[in-house]
Amino acid sequence: MNALVLRLIAARIGLALVSLLLVSAVVFAITALLPGDAAEEKLGLEATAETLAALRHEMGLDRPALLRYGDWLAGMAGGDPGRSVVSGALVGQLIASRLPNSLLLAGLTAAISVPLALGLGIAAAMWRGSRFDRAVSMGAVAVVSVPEFLIATLAVLLFAVQLRWLPALAYTGPDAELAELARAYALPVFSLCCVIISQMLRMTRAAVVDQLRAPYIEMLRLKGASPLRMVLRHALPNALGPIANAVALSLSYLLGGVIIVETIFNYPGVAKLMVDGVTQRDMPLVQTCAMLFCAAYLLLVTVADVLGIVSNPKLRHR
Amino acid sequence: MSFPTPSSSRQGDAAAPATPGLSRRAALGRLLAGGCALPGLGLAAPAFSGLAAVAAPQPRQGGYLRVAAAAAAITDTLDPARQSNQTDYIRGKMFYNGLTELDAHLNPLPALAESFASDDAQEWTFRLRRGVHFHDGKPLTPADVVYSLMRHKDPAVGSKANAIAAQIDSVAADGPQAVKVRLKAPNADLPVLMGTFHFHIVADGTTDFRLANGTGPYRCQEFRPGVRSIAVRNPGYWKPGRPYVDTIECVGIVDEVARVNALLSGDIDLVSAVNPRSALRIAATPGFTFMTTQSGQYSDLVMRQDRGPGANPDFVLALKYLMDRELMMKVIAQGHAMVGNDQPIDPTHTFYAPGLPQRPYDPERARFHLRKAGMAGARLPIVASPAATYSVEIALVLQYAAARVGLELEVKRMPVDGYWSNHWMKHPLSFGNINPRASADAVFTQFYQSTSAWNATGWKNLRFDQLLVAARSELDENRRRALYADMQALVHDECGSGIPLFIASIDGLSSRVKGLSQIPLGGLMGYSFAENVWLEG
Amino acid sequence: MPASSAPAPALPAEPPRRRLPRLPLPGLLGLAVILFWLATALFGPWLLSPEANAPGADEVFGRLGAAHPLGTDYLGRDILARLVLGAGYTVGVAIVATLLASAGGTALALLAAVRGGWADGTLSRLMDTLISIPSKLFALIMVAAFGSSVTLLALTAALIYVPGVFRIARSLAVNINAMDYVAVARSRGEGELYIMRHEILPNMLGPMLADLGLRFVYVVLLLAGLSFLGLGVQPPEADWGSLVRENLGGLPEGAPAVIVPALAIASLTIAVNLLIDNLPGRGER
Repeated sequence: MNALVLRLIAARIGLALVSLLLVSAVVFAITALLPGDAAEEKLGLEATAETLAALRHEMGLDRPALLRYGDWLAGMAGGDPGRSVVSGALVGQLIASRLPNSLLLAGLTAAISVPLALGLGIAAAMWRGSRFDRAVSMGAVAVVSVPEFLIATLAVLLFAVQLRWLPALAYTGPDAELAELARAYALPVFSLCCVIISQMLRMTRAAVVDQLRAPYIEMLRLKGASPLRMVLRHALPNALGPIANAVALSLSYLLGGVIIVETIFNYPGVAKLMVDGVTQRDMPLVQTCAMLFCAAYLLLVTVADVLGIVSNPKLRHR
Repeated sequence: MSFPTPSSSRQGDAAAPATPGLSRRAALGRLLAGGCALPGLGLAAPAFSGLAAVAAPQPRQGGYLRVAAAAAAITDTLDPARQSNQTDYIRGKMFYNGLTELDAHLNPLPALAESFASDDAQEWTFRLRRGVHFHDGKPLTPADVVYSLMRHKDPAVGSKANAIAAQIDSVAADGPQAVKVRLKAPNADLPVLMGTFHFHIVADGTTDFRLANGTGPYRCQEFRPGVRSIAVRNPGYWKPGRPYVDTIECVGIVDEVARVNALLSGDIDLVSAVNPRSALRIAATPGFTFMTTQSGQYSDLVMRQDRGPGANPDFVLALKYLMDRELMMKVIAQGHAMVGNDQPIDPTHTFYAPGLPQRPYDPERARFHLRKAGMAGARLPIVASPAATYSVEIALVLQYAAARVGLELEVKRMPVDGYWSNHWMKHPLSFGNINPRASADAVFTQFYQSTSAWNATGWKNLRFDQLLVAARSELDENRRRALYADMQALVHDECGSGIPLFIASIDGLSSRVKGLSQIPLGGLMGYSFAENVWLEG
Repeated sequence: MPASSAPAPALPAEPPRRRLPRLPLPGLLGLAVILFWLATALFGPWLLSPEANAPGADEVFGRLGAAHPLGTDYLGRDILARLVLGAGYTVGVAIVATLLASAGGTALALLAAVRGGWADGTLSRLMDTLISIPSKLFALIMVAAFGSSVTLLALTAALIYVPGVFRIARSLAVNINAMDYVAVARSRGEGELYIMRHEILPNMLGPMLADLGLRFVYVVLLLAGLSFLGLGVQPPEADWGSLVRENLGGLPEGAPAVIVPALAIASLTIAVNLLIDNLPGRGER
């Protein structure tokens, strides 16, 4: 580690707070434009003037929106995201009940897709122009060209409904065994891998190929370095910045972006929680979820940036 | 009007109305034949003791049943007053009972009240069943009933039945085993209302609904809003021998395709709200079947009569004649619906008036009325949403028919959330969706009475209002029938509500699941399947 | 921001037109497919009869046949007609959104990389904020607040992908900015604009074009995903994603109504990638 990296990390922590504040402000601003409020959504067709008024009072909606936002922010600063307007439950508890599910799904997907994408990407770059390269590149494009919900639905139809090898719903309950867990997660993880693998693979290939074209590699080639050594020792470290960025972007998708997979496999994750929050106008819940996604994202890109600096000799010594 | 039919024919019926293009009469006949199996028997003793004698398979105890309904959100609740969707109602029916329960014709049967009576339809006495206990062991007392009914009147409870409960004047204990309910005005349908979901009985003073403490056939073991509930058999249930299944796991799966796939992959045994296309697929898969429940649910074209083009009666008539109801039934509902006649009482209902002539699809008459209204060549927005079942499709079919007689309808599809508060009733032309109501009085009062907050079309008809009040206090069945027939004719002729279809709900089930029949409050036996079904080995 | 509009539009449009003859076969194929869909989107609707979009009584999820060459959908409408009408939405919205996102993102990234310091920090922070809101949830809020329209969809999609482009472009640009030849140019006294256009941009073109192709694919798929959630182009109009979604019920029986639009999406996205992969100066050395 060096001073630049430490300075960057310190600065990032400070800036992260600014980002989080910004996110909550942006979300607050857009959600303020949403028609209807939580009381109306909850009572729906059966709303009467009296129950609406009483419910608004109970939910605290009779106070100005800005004040409520301020209260929530103040609470958040002390680590307390407050209570869900709609259900009265603690937002912290609501999220705590869903977050482990989301992390598990994201973790499994990352564990499979990242090594696969990087390995294939580097191999394709080394043998660029070969049949292998073409097959991998075309495969990546083909897989990502099909809408995610179609892949997931097709997989369910084939493996769950026709062959009956795997369950159609992902959720297993808290006390599942490992084998059961693996079966339950196979289809959603497969669907998600199809979605994120392509971006990482292609960026890896492009970045490594770009480095391999650089003059210094030409020099190494003339000196007679082995291709594997050239790629792993010289090209890859220089390409690590963009690769780490692509990986960070793809992984950040796995927390909030998986709403379609959560829907199809009826999986109780945080994305669905936030969608519920939006449709029910549950602002503390929406705000807190948005902050959570933002924090996760910031963490990932900071790691990516640190990797980029550490690996790039020019930046390292600046 | 109760002639017991062998229950084996009931099972056969389950799949029968699937035939696309089934005529209304045939479907109706089948429904009546199927639906009448329960009522006469259900009155005193548990229904199945009678049916078992007629060669029905013996219900089997035990097993684990997994059921999926179509809604799931963190707002799922076990508070009867606030329940609002299918999944809630299923749980309500598992954990609680009402004073009454409703049969296949929505007639009230005794439940927690072993009898109910009134001389003037204004003051009612409900005599409570003896020996009923809540899940925590507390015996059922009049105080529980008083609390459960009166809390709907407190706006702070946020009850969905707040408007209905407004007619209750007072509820008081009448001795240790009876309750007197006094209404502000007579209502012959009070026992029907007491059989609906929101009026389930909870223990006196209950404010914590994280788990349910009711008198129902199942105890609540686990409840996680938006995820699932686990219900275990209540061995001390007051209906002897019931329920049959040991454990019921209930989840909500919002996506229809996912719900059906979960059924067909064997993850789930029973699913609600299947669309007609999937019903065919379920029927084609060995080991699975489906059941159609025709009900009074309808989506209607709401034409505001107090402003805009709907103020002209000829325009309203023109649009009613433009509805190609047969096509809609065939293409949109794949036959799982009944053709509507621009009035809200469906053919399964006791008070349906069969004499009213059916309004046909007639482009020529539509063109005539359109010209008379001076609206030929006009261009109008029409607001629909998936929130109102089939309304987008109905709007598209209507749009096409209208274009051929020189009326340009611009279909505006609105997202589900916010539709009811922001769009329904708010435009000159929009779509509504009315879930099945337990009584004719409830539908007419809530959606057609001129003073109602949900009088969506802004219809004002003095004679209709008078008939409505008269029918409410009428205890004589035949006179009531005549009054309701007049009201149906009035709505059919003059109201701005165009009702093309009555929508059936379809449930998909594994053939292991037995004992399911139709109650026209919705799918899954009006959501009360839990104490009626059993699992074959 | 003087630089924001200058360099980026040159990205996708210029190279293929000038160097068309030197395209290898797969690239030509990709180009042909793209041109075919563009032509379909532009001229197809004129060739349809006005009855084409009508709900039919005869058959839902019909097979390929003379009356309906590509079968019928869940309301008995002609799939060929729906596909032709949908081409405009899919191709149009995706092109507009991709170009907006790429141009905006690249321009901002160049600015951030060259200026560094305060400008870099502010821009990076802003982009991180935007990108950290999951795209579909962002779209959900936008549509719930403003209602769904084609313009809103294109803008939302562009807004969603600007930060993604920005991050990748910035990371490339920062690396290049640290190169010796940039330092040389700077010491020559070249202006910022010149450095962006002539020193940095040409050297990041390769990865950026790869990103552009994939970005286009992502926009098409985002639209499809939004349709799945009921937020996309609203019926009776439909983009291809909506077509797949609204006919998803026909998938178990292999109805053309769901397979044909899915193939259309795949052919378009693969064609774009083929073209970009085979642009001169890429993949060979």
